[in-house]
Amino acid sequence: MSVLLKLEDLSVSFATPRGALKAVNHVNLELLKGESLGVVGESGSGKTVLSRATMGLLPGTATRTGTITYNGQDVTALPKDEVRKLWGTGMAMIFQDPMTALNPVRRIGSQLTESLTVRLGMDKKVAREKAIQLLKRVRIPEPELMLRKFPYQLSGGMRQRIMIAIAISCGPEMLFADEPTTALDVTVQAQVLELLSELREEYNMGMILVTHDLGVVAGHTDKIAVMYAGDVVEYAPTRALFKNMKMPYTEALFKSIPRLETPTGTRLPVIEGRLPDPTKNEPGCPFANRCPYVQDKCRAQAPPLVDAGDNHFYRCWFPIGGGQ
Amino acid sequence: MAGTGKAHLRPGADIILNVEDLVVEFKVGRDKIVKAVSGVSFDLVRGETFAVVGESGCGKSTLGKAILQLPKPTSGKVEFLSKDLTKLKGNDLRDMRPAMQMIFQDPVSSLDPRQPVSAVLAEPLKVWNKGNQVEIDAKIDELLFAVNLDPAVVRDRRSYEFSGGQCQRISIARALALDPTLIICDEPVSSLDVSVQAQILNLLQDMKDRYGLTLIFISHDLAVVKMISTRVMVMYLGKVCEVAAPEELYNHTKHHYTKALVASVPIPDPDRRINAGLIQGEPPSPVNPPSGCRFRTRCPMASDLCAAEEPELREVAPDHFVACHHPVVD
Amino acid sequence: MSNPTEIADAPVIVIKKRRRRPFGFYIAGTWVAFVVLVAIFGHWWPTPKWDDSFYDSLGVGPFHRSHILGTTQDGYDMFSGLINGTRISIFVSFFSVLVGGSIGSAIGITSAYFRGRVDKVIVFAFNVLLSIPNLVLSLALLSVLAYSDENNPASTPRRVMVLLMSLTIVIIPILGRIARGSTLQWSSREFVLASKSMGTKNFTIIGRHILPNVAPALLAIGFLAIGSIIIVEGSLAILGIGIPGGASWGSMLANGRGNLEFSPWEVYMPALAIAFTVISCNWFGDYVRRALDKRESKI
Repeated sequence: MSVLLKLEDLSVSFATPRGALKAVNHVNLELLKGESLGVVGESGSGKTVLSRATMGLLPGTATRTGTITYNGQDVTALPKDEVRKLWGTGMAMIFQDPMTALNPVRRIGSQLTESLTVRLGMDKKVAREKAIQLLKRVRIPEPELMLRKFPYQLSGGMRQRIMIAIAISCGPEMLFADEPTTALDVTVQAQVLELLSELREEYNMGMILVTHDLGVVAGHTDKIAVMYAGDVVEYAPTRALFKNMKMPYTEALFKSIPRLETPTGTRLPVIEGRLPDPTKNEPGCPFANRCPYVQDKCRAQAPPLVDAGDNHFYRCWFPIGGGQ
Repeated sequence: MAGTGKAHLRPGADIILNVEDLVVEFKVGRDKIVKAVSGVSFDLVRGETFAVVGESGCGKSTLGKAILQLPKPTSGKVEFLSKDLTKLKGNDLRDMRPAMQMIFQDPVSSLDPRQPVSAVLAEPLKVWNKGNQVEIDAKIDELLFAVNLDPAVVRDRRSYEFSGGQCQRISIARALALDPTLIICDEPVSSLDVSVQAQILNLLQDMKDRYGLTLIFISHDLAVVKMISTRVMVMYLGKVCEVAAPEELYNHTKHHYTKALVASVPIPDPDRRINAGLIQGEPPSPVNPPSGCRFRTRCPMASDLCAAEEPELREVAPDHFVACHHPVVD
Repeated sequence: MSNPTEIADAPVIVIKKRRRRPFGFYIAGTWVAFVVLVAIFGHWWPTPKWDDSFYDSLGVGPFHRSHILGTTQDGYDMFSGLINGTRISIFVSFFSVLVGGSIGSAIGITSAYFRGRVDKVIVFAFNVLLSIPNLVLSLALLSVLAYSDENNPASTPRRVMVLLMSLTIVIIPILGRIARGSTLQWSSREFVLASKSMGTKNFTIIGRHILPNVAPALLAIGFLAIGSIIIVEGSLAILGIGIPGGASWGSMLANGRGNLEFSPWEVYMPALAIAFTVISCNWFGDYVRRALDKRESKI
């Protein structure tokens, strides 16, 4: 299986009056063709900045270092218009809030056909037919009527499906989904995720799914990267991550999710403390001040990325289940 | 499912709130009416945590606000501490307010960005003349400690300087300021991170135990609801589907909508794939809800009876009520 | 129970940009401060009376030994004329914006907060007033209430009063609409609902929560309005219905335009005074608006 996207030593920092703010720290990730990678983190973990950095959508105050390789080609050094050519046919992106991603004053039909006519050079009539097919594929009822509608007339779930339709319209090799279902109801979320999985198999697309919900990644990804304070703290195939967690943060995150099996009235275990200040360069593991298993070594030195075998990497001096 | 019916009411218990046939309808545009809540009834026993679950558009938020008469419901009875709030006006209604408070979904927007925390918490105390400045300051400190915030650090700052979880703590402190009997929590943890969510849920539980509160917990998250509540009411498109204790609701689901909801909750276990096939499509518009059972357009068991006649809540198991013509058979 | 080590202490890091005020702030600020100072204290400056005619120096240019900015063709000293004009123009514009703004905001805020049929009527009334060009409105009011022809000219105080009234009426719907729009936005926020659920009285909510949040928008537009009114007064003066007697900048301009060929300073001096003041006011209004936008994007 070929490597579709590779992030090597990617770091992003922002210039602020208080000094450099390190949002992403030396992240290494790899996405194979047709594979689905989940990036899990809470607010402040850097996952949003990471996705923006990969797409080249960072604001001017950001400094990005490291390399991003797409299909063997180094895209970090490419000028903006070259990168833009990759979007649509190479990488496509789906955002959390479809209302801001869709143009509110243009009809759905014209937004759908735009990428077809501009990028693939299709004739208008052919594009319209293709648009209807796409809408059918994302299970939108009455696609012909939908073409004439405006985004404000639709529900969140519908808009998200349309965004997916636009994203796959040019047959991309890779889909970047940045919290695609966070704003949706749970029944609609289930349908949208199911749709994404189907489309992925059908078009053999790679997918990076960025979310804060461990439940969402459990069922829809092949491997998961857990982020904390700008670092990837654990990176493993999905089953291995859930069955054999090594990093205490992953475990703490997992334990604080309320589940249907939990009996009523149980008290959820809580992660005490706060995120470290991203403008300060404190030594040691970033999770040290909140870790239930912390020891002196953790505060002194930042743990390196350790390979536990079977593609399972983690950053911890004293992982769960031994190892160091 | 068309949730009318009062089979699930419990006369005789220590009821502090009794809502009967509540209807809330809004006019939208020139001739459309949104039927947000259409004939919901329930009661609240002192000390319980009553959860109202449903997806967006089911009317649960509107229900919460209507109980507080903000704004007054279109029709129905809301009897709180033996007084019908719908019939009270002006100062009579105002006098009931300290006993019933609310916590909102968006923690940042529920605080005035121009006011420091001390002013936010002082407001309810000043409105009801709870002592002079010294006593008010002492109470503010007490409240902040209760929600695990350090008053010295927090007092003079404004809402935009805090994280979501901290803002929510301040909102909780504000709600506690008037020693209420009932607190309505409208999706209090939906916009928070998972780890913060756990903290706030624990905090709510602690506050409830410490101050002897009764809670109405409105949410769309079944897992959260199951953990924290003692009784659950499932709503769909303005009507009640099912009412039961959380364990019973989860283990012996009787309504098809509840079943689909339960099945859609993402499970952090890669070996268990969720079944999204149980429910298709989107909820219809509350302006034009389907006749008879409002869920029939998405229900796998819908029959002609469902279109013709609206089902009423009836007891299908001990303290388990469902409004369905063809409830789920175990 | 609650674990004392669970205390979530210091708040999140706030990245406050050190605001370096743009250069224009100092220029505009200095000019406005200067103008206001002159308006308040100007008439104590030892100058000849502005409406005294100096027959021995008719139409002299600036830098004359006893008339530093020259005189008009009729012998009125320019310098004192400008000082007096500052008083009048500033007074008229500040008055109409402050009074009109207060009335308009009060109506707009109350109307938007309580909604209902009254709100619909107010919106309609605002729209009607806004659709009448302000010059036409002033003309109409003046001709009705301060009718003046060759036989019985209206008294100056009456004309001034009607002029002030018409300018105030012009401002009412402008600021009223801004206030209404802003109030609609703020009153739908949850903290207003929270206050209502506490039992806070409506007018207390308006005063404590709505007004402080709406005020910055009003301030921004208020500055722009001051600039506008100075120009409107000037236009009315040219039409012959401004402040009579060459007291304001506008009427100085109006009186002097006939002498453009002989003593152009009669025209360009008041014109420059108007221009600088209006530009400074507009600049300030823009600055406040930009500062607001930045702040609101955080909230």
